[in-house]
Amino acid sequence: MDFSPLTDALASKSYGKIADICDELMLKGAAEMEGVPFEEEWPFAIHLLAHIYVNDTNSARFLWKSIPAAVKERQPEVVAAWGIGQRLWTRDYAAVHEAIRAFDWSQQIQPLVAAFSEVYTKRMFQLLLSAYSTISIQDTALFLGMNEDDATSYVLQQGWVVDPDSRMLIVKKQPVKTEQKLDSSKLQRLTEYVFHLEH
Amino acid sequence: MATVESLVAQIQGLSSSAGDLSLLLTHLKQADEFLHNESTRLLPFLEQLDPTLHSLGYLYILEACTSWPVTNEQARRLVLILSRFLTSCVADQIRLAPEKFIAVCKSFKDQVLMLEAPIRGVVPLLEAVKKLRSSEHLTTLHPDFLQLCLLAKCYKTGLSILEDDIFEVDQPRDFYLYCYYGGMICIGQKRFQKALELLHNVVTAPMSSINAIAVEAFKKYVLVSLIYNGQQFSTSLPKYTSSAAQRNLKTICQPYIELANTYSIGKISELESYIQTNREKFDSDNNLGLVKQVVSSMYKRNIQRLTQTYLTLSLQDIANTVQLSSPKEAEMHVLQMIQDGEIYATINQRDGMVRFLEDPEQYKTCEMIEHIDSSIQRIMTLSKKLTAMDELISCDPLYLAKVGRERQRFDFDDFDPVPQKFNI
Repeated sequence: MDFSPLTDALASKSYGKIADICDELMLKGAAEMEGVPFEEEWPFAIHLLAHIYVNDTNSARFLWKSIPAAVKERQPEVVAAWGIGQRLWTRDYAAVHEAIRAFDWSQQIQPLVAAFSEVYTKRMFQLLLSAYSTISIQDTALFLGMNEDDATSYVLQQGWVVDPDSRMLIVKKQPVKTEQKLDSSKLQRLTEYVFHLEH
Repeated sequence: MATVESLVAQIQGLSSSAGDLSLLLTHLKQADEFLHNESTRLLPFLEQLDPTLHSLGYLYILEACTSWPVTNEQARRLVLILSRFLTSCVADQIRLAPEKFIAVCKSFKDQVLMLEAPIRGVVPLLEAVKKLRSSEHLTTLHPDFLQLCLLAKCYKTGLSILEDDIFEVDQPRDFYLYCYYGGMICIGQKRFQKALELLHNVVTAPMSSINAIAVEAFKKYVLVSLIYNGQQFSTSLPKYTSSAAQRNLKTICQPYIELANTYSIGKISELESYIQTNREKFDSDNNLGLVKQVVSSMYKRNIQRLTQTYLTLSLQDIANTVQLSSPKEAEMHVLQMIQDGEIYATINQRDGMVRFLEDPEQYKTCEMIEHIDSSIQRIMTLSKKLTAMDELISCDPLYLAKVGRERQRFDFDDFDPVPQKFNI
């Protein structure tokens, strides 16, 4: 099997593209295989993490289900990769960080896991930002996967404030900037629709 | 008397221009019976042909080779040849003999299933579908491809084909299966709206008698409706549903109708005890996973209902009304719903309160305008299609003959003529 598109994507850190590349390579490999089953040499751990990286837990779960039991037994890294997916699937937010830290990832996979960890922390911060007006320091630390001091300084940088009475964090929402300017051609199109409907 | 050798020579000589190909097709049709008689010794001759250059001839020989039941050992060899052919053959050539191409694809599907390796068939069948279809046309290979995707657990790959609009169908069975398998793929990817649309198509499709596909589709349709729409689900089918479906579906799928009725009461405990007593039925239908999602959707629905009544509510009160064990659990439910965009709210941990907000969408961003614009475009295309279809039917002699006959049976004055535009 020719793994060059995958190794290229890994080398250039285009992690968002890996899931699609893996899907395509795997299906092509399966169709063309002679003799040796493709499962023997397929990098399932990378494939799982690639789905997880783009937040596609469904696909990660179906991939996990299709992995032969022998592979799962032989490659603890595959099991560990799904460990992360499983926590995401059950929405055990804090346990995702633990699952990332609990395994000693191989050299090839380490950068991908680190990149996911970073993305996931950002995702969690956005979630807290949108869902809470006040939140305890302890919970913030769990969600962000940091110790309490690091978590506090992380969110203080984002403009949050510590409430001195309750020792809780007050969330500061950032104003969301969206493009609202309309170019005239679109307005023209909508006008034409209305005109068309009225006549 | 033709020989295989001479036929191979003809294929090699007549595969370049369109004129040559139609001549070749006549030769091949004449030789078809002979090829089938010789099928056991044909395989080696394929090596003299190129699947891309000589697609049509290759197809005829391959079809003869696969027209008999094959052993496991033979399948192992054939699958490789077939998958290479399906990926490399030329669309223009194979479309000259669509029924042969379909036969080859069907036997390919059977063989990968026999080898218990559905994943080996996914890419070749996708290629085959792309080559055989014309736009908006449902081929008989569509459902086969989706079935392989399901079996190989390649749900995402299956989605790629479900995004195309379908307006032409040859066989009703193809359509039922396509929508049923497609529905299952969308359920797996949690695209409930699309799943609902596909399953709805099966349930309401014209049918003269009830069939197993429609029954299974209806069961899933009830469950997905509950997950996606909640209590708004109505057990009555739309007017245009066939009478066969209207009469039978509800009686055959009684446990599902009762589940929907229990759901509409809105009490978790009752829903859970109903599911517990009927667990085996749902399990034997392979629907237990969906049923469990129905239960969790009820928590969501009940929380959503609270947002219509209250502006702020304590987590404790939410836990009490929705039958959750603790305020922390209520907080997690609310958090998940915010994450999924199912409610708009902010949680205040300090006071243990949730504040429900309005949908922040103001329908004035560029993105939204873009979205509205593309929807209008789609609807306009659809409406044009409908008008064209309507005109086509009102000119159809068969339809006119039937309508004409029925009209005579009634008095003109007390019956509104069925087609509004009746121009003969």
